[in-house]
Amino acid sequence: MTIEFQLTARQQETREAIRGLAKNVIRPQSLSWDRNSGIPEEFLLKLTMLASSMGSGLALTQGVRGAGEDGPKDPTKKSTAHVNTSIASEEMAWGDAALPLCLPGPGLGGPPVRASGTTEQKERFFGIFKDYSNGLRWGAYALTEPGAGSDVAGIRTSCRKDGKHWVLNGRKCYITNGAKASWNVVFATIDPALGRAGHRAFVVEKGTPGFSVGRLEEKMGLRASETAELVFEECRVPEENLLGGEERYVSKEGFMTAMKTFDSTRPLVASMAIGIGRAAYEYARDFVKENYSLARHTPRYAQIAERLARTGRGLEAARAVTWRAAWLADEGKENAKEASICKAMAGQAAIRACIEAIEICGAEGTISEDHQLLEKWFRDIKVYDIFEGTGQIQRIVISKRLLTDLKSF
Amino acid sequence: MISFDPSEDQKLMQQSAEQFAKVLLRPKMRELEKARGVPEDVRRQAHELGLGLVALPEAVGGAGLGMTTAVLLEEEIAWGDPAAAFGFGGPGAMGFALLELATTEQAKALLEPFTADGGHARFGAVAWGEKKSPEGRDGLATVATKEAAGWKLDGEKAYVTSADRADTFVVFAQVDPSKGWEGVGAFVVKKGTPGLTVKERKTTLGLDIASFGGLTLDGVKVTDGDRLAGGKDFLGSTIRFFAKQALLVAARAVGLSRAAFETTRDYCDARRAFGKPIGHFQAVAFTLADRAMDVEAARALVWRAAWAWDGGVGENEALKRTGWAVSFALEAAMRCGDDGVQLHGGSGFVRDYPVEKFMRDAKQLQLCALTAEQADQLAAAIELGRPVDPALVLPSPTSQNTFI
Repeated sequence: MTIEFQLTARQQETREAIRGLAKNVIRPQSLSWDRNSGIPEEFLLKLTMLASSMGSGLALTQGVRGAGEDGPKDPTKKSTAHVNTSIASEEMAWGDAALPLCLPGPGLGGPPVRASGTTEQKERFFGIFKDYSNGLRWGAYALTEPGAGSDVAGIRTSCRKDGKHWVLNGRKCYITNGAKASWNVVFATIDPALGRAGHRAFVVEKGTPGFSVGRLEEKMGLRASETAELVFEECRVPEENLLGGEERYVSKEGFMTAMKTFDSTRPLVASMAIGIGRAAYEYARDFVKENYSLARHTPRYAQIAERLARTGRGLEAARAVTWRAAWLADEGKENAKEASICKAMAGQAAIRACIEAIEICGAEGTISEDHQLLEKWFRDIKVYDIFEGTGQIQRIVISKRLLTDLKSF
Repeated sequence: MISFDPSEDQKLMQQSAEQFAKVLLRPKMRELEKARGVPEDVRRQAHELGLGLVALPEAVGGAGLGMTTAVLLEEEIAWGDPAAAFGFGGPGAMGFALLELATTEQAKALLEPFTADGGHARFGAVAWGEKKSPEGRDGLATVATKEAAGWKLDGEKAYVTSADRADTFVVFAQVDPSKGWEGVGAFVVKKGTPGLTVKERKTTLGLDIASFGGLTLDGVKVTDGDRLAGGKDFLGSTIRFFAKQALLVAARAVGLSRAAFETTRDYCDARRAFGKPIGHFQAVAFTLADRAMDVEAARALVWRAAWAWDGGVGENEALKRTGWAVSFALEAAMRCGDDGVQLHGGSGFVRDYPVEKFMRDAKQLQLCALTAEQADQLAAAIELGRPVDPALVLPSPTSQNTFI
């Protein structure tokens, strides 16, 4: 190989196609989706049909398709799935920050099922996404609890075996698409004292007795994306829905199932953050082009140029490390550290970009009638340094891979 | 197709540079610093590795391996000793100056001695910097006056790398004072030309292996043939020269960052306090994580900029990416040096440990070729679709002076 940053012809085509869609179709609806707290299903259906007509390279149909697949076993057969998905996600998020999260498909529930599910489970749970003619479907990933956020090992939702069922009790919160999902991958524990070894992952289907949706959150941003609370009260889950089957949990695999998801989804989420940051950066850049007198003797010119350059290079740095993390995944190489690096950098660079964009536009930038997108991005981006592991959690992951024998702080 | 995998040839060269850095440069780092130069035997080996002419095309006598290969090797060498590359023989910044500003014939003739046997003993230099801006106009204070046979150069030059070692200089001077930055020209001046005085070598904060000095030009006469007569857009070529040189410096900054990070990480693994390695305290570990991110990101940006020069994606794209890479890598190196000393505590401040040198070198690197601010102005101008303003991008007493 050689060092190469040229996208393949197919990747370029795909990027151009999504870019056009983002600019002409997605962006114009972005504000109304935000205000109405949702994206109409007819639009998502159209987008999904368009995506499948354009081929799987569009990486739209399942939202995170490609991500979470195991790396290629044969080292001579390289995949580009992760890089493709990164490129596509950035463009889509540029159009609307919430859209990538709203797309039908298994969502974040996909990677754990793909990584740990039995063949039978994969067929059963992925099968429902093959045909949307009877309506769109989603999967979701339910790990966080009111008392266990970053410290996922501390979950309290309990599970106990009762005949051919597992009985779940507890609450999950901040679950993206949790209410509309056909199934949620739910993490529970057989005994909190066992820590990670006690964890079990279940695919809990909508309508399972004892499972209900609590409240839907009002959020600062990403308001078009559904964030749900899930309630389990003596919820009886059939034993065949235990992800991977009983033998999977002889070791610490349960917890690894939760974590495995993140190595492949972090570059994806980083790409979305970069897309939003880029939207704000380009908005500010174009605002400066149109509104400022930029003669050299205007002292403000050099200052504004400096701010723009800092923002631009921050995003570019984040994109470069994100592509690297995605490329490592495609090469089938270990990328946990790199995945955390890109997530941490992208979250911060994009927040910086959204803050700077408003600052660069001056007072004008905060007027939401005229610059609604700017204030929307400012609200949308913050959570990108929080979900999928906060910036601090990423640094813990990175630290453990830098230092010898560092188990915990 | 995106790939972060160097070619097999590049890997081989990278490995020999790494070996050279590990076995020769790092163990001798303090010795070289004390000697304020690179001894002849080490320079000879560097010469044999072909450093210095890696990125120059074969047409002018270079190895023709491109910027990507050059940045890979620069990182390895700088990891061994961030100052070393400044003390190796070779054309130094004169390489890119000739490539961008001279005709192919001029460049080839002037670079030939550096590739020949004994090339390691020769130095080239670029005299750009000046302590004072000219009164009442843009451009350089050093003036070139047209005479019947050739040109006469008058002025004071400062911040010249290898000033007292070089046998050939590219001297920048104002040819047409009425045209500001558009009226600058460049001339080849040989050591020993009457009227040329090499000023005393300066002692610097970092990179003191390099010899930073100045020149006095008092009625120095050169021929018409000594004026660099490359491309038509002289200002554009000058900016390209600075950009390419700055990208090499940025690659050295990546090597420095990695060196500072790694030694600090190892120290935090070994040093114990309150019953555990200090790296097991979050405040320390997070600082290390941040610096690890700096190294990764700076390297990726430098690679992408180097690739842009090699990959034929257009000059503006290459200039913009160079601007981003340079400013990021220079600032990252300073953070790595600073935090490196910080995490070593008092030990970081004493010269038993290498990290204080990395910190000093980082600050000095930030003032070589282009500063982060100048690089940012370069990138921003292209992003805003504006002409690159030489008053903001080129080093000068009014923007910032740098060592070339």
